[in-house]
Amino acid sequence: MAKELPGYGTIDVPKEREVPFGAVTPAPVCVQNMFQTSNWRIVRPVKDDEKCTRCLICYLSCPDACWVYKEEEDVMEWINAFCKGCQICIQECPSEALTAVPELDFPDGVVRLDKPF
Amino acid sequence: MAKAKMLTGCRAAAEGAKAAEVEVVCSYPIRPYTAIMMELAKMVADGELNAEFIHGEGEHAQLSVVLGACAAGARAFTGSSGVGVTYAMEIYSPMAGGRYPAQMSIADRTLDPPGDFGSEHTDAMCTRDNGWLLGWACSPQEVYDNTLINYRVGEDHRVMLPQMVCQEGYFISHIPDQVILGEQSQVKEFLPPYRPIAPLSLTHPVSHGPQIRPDQGAPMDAMRAQVFLTLPKVIEEATADFNRIFGRNYDPFVEQYQLADAEIAFFIMGAHANTCRKAVDRLRKQGVKAGMARLRWVRPWPTHQLAEALGHVKAIGVVETSTSYGGAMRGGNLIHELRASLYDLDEKPLVTSFMGGLGGETIWPADFDYMAKILSEMVKEKKTKRYVYWIGM
Amino acid sequence: MQAFDYKYQQLDPVKSFKRVPGPEQYVPGHRTCAGCGPALNYRLVAKAAGKDTIFIGPTGCMYVANASYLCTPYAVSWIHAQITNAGAVASGIEAAFKVAMRKGRHAGPFPNIIVMAGDGGSVDIGLQAMSGLMYRNHKVLFICYDNESYANTGVQTSPTTPYGAATTFTPPGKEIPEGKTLFPKNPPQLVIGGHPAVKYVATTTIAHPLDLMNKVRKALSQPGPTFMHMLAPCPKGWLFDEKMTREMARLAVETGMWSLYEWENGVYKYTNVPKKYKPVSEYMKPQGRFAHLKPEHIAKMQAFVDEKIKQVKEAIPVAAPIPVSRQEA
Repeated sequence: MAKELPGYGTIDVPKEREVPFGAVTPAPVCVQNMFQTSNWRIVRPVKDDEKCTRCLICYLSCPDACWVYKEEEDVMEWINAFCKGCQICIQECPSEALTAVPELDFPDGVVRLDKPF
Repeated sequence: MAKAKMLTGCRAAAEGAKAAEVEVVCSYPIRPYTAIMMELAKMVADGELNAEFIHGEGEHAQLSVVLGACAAGARAFTGSSGVGVTYAMEIYSPMAGGRYPAQMSIADRTLDPPGDFGSEHTDAMCTRDNGWLLGWACSPQEVYDNTLINYRVGEDHRVMLPQMVCQEGYFISHIPDQVILGEQSQVKEFLPPYRPIAPLSLTHPVSHGPQIRPDQGAPMDAMRAQVFLTLPKVIEEATADFNRIFGRNYDPFVEQYQLADAEIAFFIMGAHANTCRKAVDRLRKQGVKAGMARLRWVRPWPTHQLAEALGHVKAIGVVETSTSYGGAMRGGNLIHELRASLYDLDEKPLVTSFMGGLGGETIWPADFDYMAKILSEMVKEKKTKRYVYWIGM
Repeated sequence: MQAFDYKYQQLDPVKSFKRVPGPEQYVPGHRTCAGCGPALNYRLVAKAAGKDTIFIGPTGCMYVANASYLCTPYAVSWIHAQITNAGAVASGIEAAFKVAMRKGRHAGPFPNIIVMAGDGGSVDIGLQAMSGLMYRNHKVLFICYDNESYANTGVQTSPTTPYGAATTFTPPGKEIPEGKTLFPKNPPQLVIGGHPAVKYVATTTIAHPLDLMNKVRKALSQPGPTFMHMLAPCPKGWLFDEKMTREMARLAVETGMWSLYEWENGVYKYTNVPKKYKPVSEYMKPQGRFAHLKPEHIAKMQAFVDEKIKQVKEAIPVAAPIPVSRQEA
């Protein structure tokens, strides 16, 4: 055959568009920072520490693990970055220690993220 | 050199899997591949193979079990025939895209409707766009050899793709022929152990297959396609190694029989090539410059190798043992890609196709005479008169 | 075949809220709806199972919403399965680890292998694979998180959707006033009925976290296949206020729509059995998916629940033995 046959060329995927091999990603360590859902909420739970009995029901009711019991300080800590404002904790608290307060009341309320999600 | 044994294709496949020390086997019965699993079951029961033999609840489950096993780091093996192959269709792309290099040994069978135990290539051909390695053997020896070659190629870190090793149902799967099994030392030299890249592990936790956005889909596809650019080189290396270690003489992609000076040629795949070689010999004795090109890999399709091997031939008859209803040539599957391979040649061979061996029928020497007659007429008249001839109809 | 020590984990029960293991294996940072029942479910299961765990996640809300866009919330190894085949993929993983341990490639412990399948992936399209797994004696815990619909695709009916529920495949209309006319499958009974290798089956809800975690640990300590059915209310699908997710699970138990039990080696053990059941309408009223029902439909649902309550009462063994008459003694 006199003429040279066409080749397949190359397939050049830009580095920023590459997908991990076999779509396998490493596991997150303790939070998945690429998905901070704090900008979903319109209210946040505010704790009255005097009323809190450290019953841990809020800790076991949150789908997003946003209540953590700090053993050394003996206090419940709220995780700002991931709370979606579902209010399950407020509903479930047996000692009415939690109230829903609008996000806009807070200086760091209505968190804006760089990327759409 | 080991002594040859008379083994069926099914037994040869099982011996290949055993030599490869597969660790997870998933079975389900369907004619005619079932014997592969029956042989492996006996090997496991007798302690000859240290593997988990799992009775899958169906072919879809077989592929799923093997996917999970592969993801967890085991060399996995399964197989099927006919509608079993198509029942598992959902899993082929996840396995290829997830880069799980397990092997599926297929003794092909005509698709329903209705039940037909006879051989046809259509079943595995239906899966060819999903990103697996795919090819047919033409003898029990080649089934055994391909089993080992495919694990070696598939598990190469430049590839990491699942493989379908196919043989004709009944003609190869059930008729014994001479097979020389490799010594364990030969197998160990040729086939290294399976080293998964990021398996499901307790010490290095990973997530396999999170959801992606549409704009991540294109690079995912592109990266899967990239593998097929480097794959032919890996196949060449592995075949050369295999030939050296086991004393065989395979052309990596296309078996070329009396092709160098052929004017007419048969382009064929699988068991009927054995009849074809005899037909070529007979035609040569009659003064016809006939030859045969037997395709060993459907995926990756050896485009350039076929153009080089067949470019000088005046008329090619594609022997089709699969159906592509409504396809461009209204016949089988191979002709489309063969014509595409030859399209850019300055002087293109004439190409037609012959539907033969469908439903498990034999392709007789007389059929090859009939095909040769038509090809010779095409050469004389310098034109392709029809895209497809249905032998006997 | 010689017995091989696969170093199966033995997990102790969690005695109180304060003793709940601290580390999260299902970490914050996922796209599930605010107030998602299945997400809370996953979190509690993952906590109970601990770090030596591999999850299999068939397609569903707990795949798409959790594992969006190449991010996942699993701190342990996890693999996506098709909605059709979670049981089979789990079987393959279990087999691979068995061989790896026999060959000395994996020192141990044997991983907790847990399938987290939705109701569709458990007893509809995934039924065949689930049954195969239960039959073949693999050491896998198959969990059906039940949000009573195919929620992720927009709330279509599944075989566990209750009678009378509105879904996008069972919309109420002039011809079909109740919406869903069929009564649901009973997943644990599908398993208990005919799988001899299964030794432990349990039900639980997200409103009973210690119960949930302890049943998970008990299941994971069995040497063979186990099945759990977990009620995970879905605010978007059932149309209730998202802060009421746990309350819905509680109401389900209090009205008899859901019973908490364990089945172990042929014996049923019920817990949290209400002394007096609330009427099922109290469960249905806060949920928009039942808003279209007329009194006759609610009565039909009550009759269905009454039948379930009867079965519970009959299954609970009599507290004191019936005295034998002196003559027979």
